[in-house]
Amino acid sequence: MASPAPPAPPPALTLPPSQFARLQPHAYLLAHLSPPASSNQLSIRANGRAPSQFRPTSANTGSLTHTNGSAVVRVGDTTAVCGVRAELLPTTDIASWSVSHASASSSSSSSSSSPAAPKSNSSSNSADAEESQIQDLNLLVPNLSLSTGCAPGFVPGAPPSALAQSLSYQILALLHSTRLVRAEDLRVWYEGPSFTGEEGGRMDVDVDVDAEGERDENSAATKKEIKAFWVLYIDIMIVSLAGNPFDAAWAAVLAALRDTKLPRAWWDVDNEMVVCSDVVSEARKLTLRGLPVASSFCVFEADAAAGWRAVIVPDADEEREIEDTAKRGMLRRWILADPDGYEEGLSQERVCLVVDKEVVGGEGKTVIVKMEKNGGWAVDSRELKQLLDVAAARWESLKQILEQC
Amino acid sequence: MTDRRRINGPPSGTRPAVFASSLKSTSGAVIERPRRHRQPNELRKIFLKTGLIPSASGSAYLEYEPSASLAAARSSPKSLIPPSSALKLACTVHGPKPLPRSATFSPNLVLTTHVKYAPFAARQRKGHIRDASERDLGVHLETALRGVIVAERWPKSGLDITITILEAEDDRWWGDAPDSHDAPWGMMNVLAGCITAASAAIADARIDCLDLVAGGVAAIVSDDEVTEEGKRTPKLMLDTDPAEHKSILSACVVAYMPARDEITEIWLKGDHSKASLGVDDSSLNHEALIDGAVNAARGAHTVLVEAVRESAERYAGLT
Repeated sequence: MASPAPPAPPPALTLPPSQFARLQPHAYLLAHLSPPASSNQLSIRANGRAPSQFRPTSANTGSLTHTNGSAVVRVGDTTAVCGVRAELLPTTDIASWSVSHASASSSSSSSSSSPAAPKSNSSSNSADAEESQIQDLNLLVPNLSLSTGCAPGFVPGAPPSALAQSLSYQILALLHSTRLVRAEDLRVWYEGPSFTGEEGGRMDVDVDVDAEGERDENSAATKKEIKAFWVLYIDIMIVSLAGNPFDAAWAAVLAALRDTKLPRAWWDVDNEMVVCSDVVSEARKLTLRGLPVASSFCVFEADAAAGWRAVIVPDADEEREIEDTAKRGMLRRWILADPDGYEEGLSQERVCLVVDKEVVGGEGKTVIVKMEKNGGWAVDSRELKQLLDVAAARWESLKQILEQC
Repeated sequence: MTDRRRINGPPSGTRPAVFASSLKSTSGAVIERPRRHRQPNELRKIFLKTGLIPSASGSAYLEYEPSASLAAARSSPKSLIPPSSALKLACTVHGPKPLPRSATFSPNLVLTTHVKYAPFAARQRKGHIRDASERDLGVHLETALRGVIVAERWPKSGLDITITILEAEDDRWWGDAPDSHDAPWGMMNVLAGCITAASAAIADARIDCLDLVAGGVAAIVSDDEVTEEGKRTPKLMLDTDPAEHKSILSACVVAYMPARDEITEIWLKGDHSKASLGVDDSSLNHEALIDGAVNAARGAHTVLVEAVRESAERYAGLT
């Protein structure tokens, strides 16, 4: 109190942090990430997270009444609601079915005598042909909608924006490439009566189910055919968007598919249609292949004009210089995991990794399902290896979240 | 015509699953229609929360308590066919924001409302493009809100209200023939929910309003109970779940401002004049129906006040 305080700067020049963040977004984030060396602080993002920290994630499944499976996934402030609806596609409605089926039936009858039997013994070649039915017949129909008022930029009622179309397609491509859903789960089989005399009760559905074991022996005599397919309409509504919609949407798809139950369906000869049972205990869950988890990253560069540089491969000197400064504790670029909307607007380079883990001999092995990187050259093979470890850690945490819900 | 901006399913289209129990309902065990366990003037509980969507200037999420039959079906599932459904919707408000350059001058706030069902919201899969009923709901919502907002405080600006319905109310019980009572009664409940949620979201966006407008539904229903004279006695019920009633004769939804005792939107549908030829005719005229809807709106208003208070406290805590 004794010493006179230095004259305060005029109040017109002071800004609350939120306004500074809006006026100088790049400088704001940079100031957060590179604290003065004297302060001995770790670099931390404007949202309070460490560079490789993901936002808190929560998932909830099965809350929507009119779906076969549903999930709500919140990743920070980004919320995705996914509902899976199953509808039937009778094979009589497939234009090319009678042609393609004639060639496919010979292999399927020999390789898979029973639909419930595991496919491990069948050769991988024929298994691939079986799985391609999902892709050929469009049995998985994911659509993502951003026109829910989730963010100010998206006009409700307008056709899907380029981002929404791209996200829908990425999800479809990932569903196909991971072969997450088994084609066998989507088939509705019919086993015609064999007319050998003793099998009078075969027409009756209940007997048919009980006589599962007996049927296998006689399967050569009976003619099995696919009467219909389940088509899964996977609709994702991004209810709230605050960056990184793909991770949230994919997690919602994954959680909803894990929750999906298909009713038992059979071919009803009298009505000449596929009929389902509404008994819950007879419905079965989908058996998914693995648990691919998506993790997205963005690269923030200290040089604000980095994105506008002339497109040349950086020479070795420049790279060495950056590495030297990094050794001295002055980072020039940061790889930020799970970017929020603010950080996404400040970075050009994106990385998306989808990983799964297989248990081989007691220990988990990380499998890269998809790797996508664009917009810059900051992430090299060395950085990608580090990101892979981050993604593997994310896989563990998301697996726990999905198993709890 | 395929929609090339979306991923389409099989070109020949697909069919919804047909359940065996609905085909041979005469032979097997008869499935019970869900019953209303509430009193005639008892409303379903409403869950209303504001500010769940931070990127919007105002937002609200509304959910109705599942009916007793649905709650039972959830806790111990037996059938895959849900007995009834409970409304769930999210509302966002963006604005006030400047109008686009191409727009003509407006001395008032320009209000636009969009109501869209999610494809999985109803028993029948909904399309991605807004259909006529969704546009109709949007227009009803706009009239309900236009009377509440003090529009002249924001000249040359626009306000976008978007509602996404994640789960809609049933129009009738699923076991009934589709043409028995063909009016879409579920839409009226949806509209009432939309009005209440939009009101909370507008207050959450801190846009000046005359009052908090709340939506309410009342209906005159005639159920199976038959009096000794062999006549069915129609009854006035508040907040009807269409799945729980055999026949709804007429229904009314209002948007009501309790502080000013004003109605900004009224939508009455159905004709109960032929059915209500009983002795106490006066208790079942249109005025009674509207009064019932107003009472339902008063009930929703108490929930609305709580939600808006929560929103104000959150705002005061931040600043």
